[in-house]
Amino acid sequence: MLLQVLLSGLAIGSIYGLVAMGFAVVFYVTRVINFATGQLLMLSIMITAGLSRAGLPDGVSIVVGLAASAVVGVIIYFIAVRTVLRFDRFSFAWLVSTLGVAIVLQTGAALIWGPTSRGFPALLNRQTIRIGAAAITWQELTTIVVAAAAVIGFEVFRRRTLFGKVGMAISSDPEMAAAVGARVTGYAVAAFAIGGLLAGAAGVLVGPITYSNPYLGDTYGIAGFVALMIGGIEKPAAAMGGGLVLGVLSVAANTFINSQASDWFPFVVVVIVLLIAPHGLFASGNPFARWRSSAAARRASLGAEGRS
Amino acid sequence: MSALLSSPARRSRALGWGAIVLVVAYLGATLGVAHGSYYLQSLIPVAAVFAILALSLDLAAGMTGLYSLGHAGLFALGAYATTLMNAKFGWNVFVMLPVSIIGVGIVGIILGALSLRVSGLYFAIMTFIFTLVVVVLLSDFSFTGGLQGISGPILPDFPEALAFLGSSVVWCVGLAFLVTVVIVWSIRSSPLYAILLAIRDAEPFAAAAGVRTSLMKVGIFGLSAALAGLAGWAFSFLGFISPGQFSWTVSVNILVMVILGGMNTRLGPIIGAIFVTAFPTVISIDPLIQEVIFGAIFVLVIVFFPQGIVGILAGVVRRLRRRPLPATAEGTIEDARRPVADATLAVVEHGELSDDFALEARGVDFGYVRGTRVLRDVDMRVRRGSIHGLIGPNGSGKSTLVNLISGQLHPDSGTIAANGHRIERLGASQRAGRGVMRTFQTAVLVRELSARQNVGIGMYGTLHRVASRALLWPLFPSAHRDGRTLAARANSALSAVGLGSAWPGARVADVPHGVEQLIQLAAACVGEPSILILDEPLAGLSGGEVEQVSEILRGLKRDGVTVIVVEHQTRFIFEMCDEVTVLAAGELVKSGTAAEVRADERVREVYLGQ
Repeated sequence: MLLQVLLSGLAIGSIYGLVAMGFAVVFYVTRVINFATGQLLMLSIMITAGLSRAGLPDGVSIVVGLAASAVVGVIIYFIAVRTVLRFDRFSFAWLVSTLGVAIVLQTGAALIWGPTSRGFPALLNRQTIRIGAAAITWQELTTIVVAAAAVIGFEVFRRRTLFGKVGMAISSDPEMAAAVGARVTGYAVAAFAIGGLLAGAAGVLVGPITYSNPYLGDTYGIAGFVALMIGGIEKPAAAMGGGLVLGVLSVAANTFINSQASDWFPFVVVVIVLLIAPHGLFASGNPFARWRSSAAARRASLGAEGRS
Repeated sequence: MSALLSSPARRSRALGWGAIVLVVAYLGATLGVAHGSYYLQSLIPVAAVFAILALSLDLAAGMTGLYSLGHAGLFALGAYATTLMNAKFGWNVFVMLPVSIIGVGIVGIILGALSLRVSGLYFAIMTFIFTLVVVVLLSDFSFTGGLQGISGPILPDFPEALAFLGSSVVWCVGLAFLVTVVIVWSIRSSPLYAILLAIRDAEPFAAAAGVRTSLMKVGIFGLSAALAGLAGWAFSFLGFISPGQFSWTVSVNILVMVILGGMNTRLGPIIGAIFVTAFPTVISIDPLIQEVIFGAIFVLVIVFFPQGIVGILAGVVRRLRRRPLPATAEGTIEDARRPVADATLAVVEHGELSDDFALEARGVDFGYVRGTRVLRDVDMRVRRGSIHGLIGPNGSGKSTLVNLISGQLHPDSGTIAANGHRIERLGASQRAGRGVMRTFQTAVLVRELSARQNVGIGMYGTLHRVASRALLWPLFPSAHRDGRTLAARANSALSAVGLGSAWPGARVADVPHGVEQLIQLAAACVGEPSILILDEPLAGLSGGEVEQVSEILRGLKRDGVTVIVVEHQTRFIFEMCDEVTVLAAGELVKSGTAAEVRADERVREVYLGQ
């Protein structure tokens, strides 16, 4: 029973974690939360399902679906983020513009494919492995493997390559990084593309379970955002950790409380986490520092903590 | 506001009559709607409810910089509380009016207090999650009617004698809207408005003027939440309520209403609310296409018209009415070309200094990062009524020491006492209350306000209960008197720093850098400090302006104010100051009279480079 909860929890948690990483990678480089990330997940599901219905092989449909998520992510950057950041780097204008994009994508998908659920290729969802009393589908196992690969790949990339280190520099001070020759726009485009890809991957992985529906973006976008808040917004790896914690706790709540508990349980968890550890469970440092109007005020609060 | 402050009594009386005419016209229009068609009665009250929400959000987001995404949740609490308490416990709907307002206000205060401790983005996220939680709770519990929702309470009709008024629901919503407009517009016309903008744009400046900024932010969000509760109460009478009407998209809708109409404007939120509410009913097409257009409008507005409809119009009007700006003081244009070093500075006559110290810092230790100490065991004693210079090479810790004294930072160990009271644990605003005021190296002012309004912020400590009176500001006779005094004192403070004539009315965004420095000096002086700290007051000033600052310092000294000056121009320091403290690499090098310090061997070595 416990093993089953853990396995199912890790599987669904990997989905949440991938979406949360999609949010976090974009935030890491651009300090923007792309509220249309959930809709990018939905987009890959809808396109993969649509192409598969049209008779294309599953592999091709999946590749096109993933590419679409990444490309639309970049388009979002150029239409809704770059334009408002140029106006004022420190405003919250992106909040409104990315939410606007989310609404357009969601209702646009409902217009094109209809607002009801339709099928999705089963992929690896039919074969099951038994581990003692617990069972896990190959699809779920693949999900966990992909999530692990995403975290490890990103961390290695971030720490070991020059590209990743420049990304860290841009993350902490874009003006300074630009002054020493970093191409800030290029990195932002890459971040939105990777963010879209991660959300798209989550979509393809969860599609066999959820089928295709234009409103999936809302459900998984919010779940991913909650995972992001639980783990910590500052580091993509922390976001994945938040996803896994959320997944396991949600499945546990479903199993041990009642079958509706996963509707409200994530919010209980995130509220408790935000009250106790505002920066997330796996974060260190102060991720929102840049929005403080004065560095001095921040130092004041840190100083107060340091003394006590 | 500037008109209200500067104009004679006759003009304000005319404004008063204008307001009465407006209110009467508004009540007439409400009567019209109350007798109007079903279409009008279903559309206008909804628009009015959203106008209340937009105005309340503009109070938080537009004026105070608190981007709340929790207004849909707060709105839901007001509506559901009224409905459920009436349906399940039989509470009278009029009892629920104050209960909704106060209850939701308290929820707002708690939410604000919990989330504003971290940052603005955290606040936006917390309020967003708050809305999600409220909607999930409303959907999942059976006593709220679940996803289907629940039918709202019935507002009793008017009694026989008042039946001519028509629909009671329309009146109820109409009056709620009127109350909101009065409160929000009163705040806009009160001195609190400038203080809120200062919290939004220049928080250190507001804190240095004695404003307890965190408390004020929580209070303003509480008020904004209370108004959302009022909106919820009124909304419950409009029919059926269900969780879908309060989802997070509604929070964003309200924000879009504010931005579309014009943030931080009187009419903007109302116009935005009318537009967004009327849009679906006037243009009736496929709801999905409508939703797509709606989302696209979000993006277009924020990308191309971030100032909104009213903001654009106001900008056009301002450009048409712009007047040329005057010179700083007589002869400044010529002086501006003269290098600062050539400016003649009067030598201070060293009078009898009292033994009494206005400020004493002992053994101050401080580090920004644990392990790296920026200041080590620094002592500084400043005699009462003297001008005290603080000098040192770049990175010696001057600004850090000043920030420790004025409360932006707190020492790791050591004590700081002002006028005999220990202050090292107080916040910046409380130290301002103890008479310790300061200016900043780079002026932080509210750019969209006039010089006079910025100086008015400095008088925060001298205004009695300004925050609570601001809610109904124009209705208090004392407020008019205070407003006039405020304007007069701000004007005279500006003249004292050489910014007479047309400067007080000029927007800070339009003035040159040197003038900004003088404005912040005026703002610090006007708060009647006993200890005034000037952080590089000469940065970016022309020769004539330097002379002006010297004159102001002498004037302050005559008035018995203790002045601490951080400055790089040693000539200015040695000629103006009675005593000088020299820092190098975070340690005290020398403290003594100007002459002693100038003659000191080590000072020459570390600082003067001789």
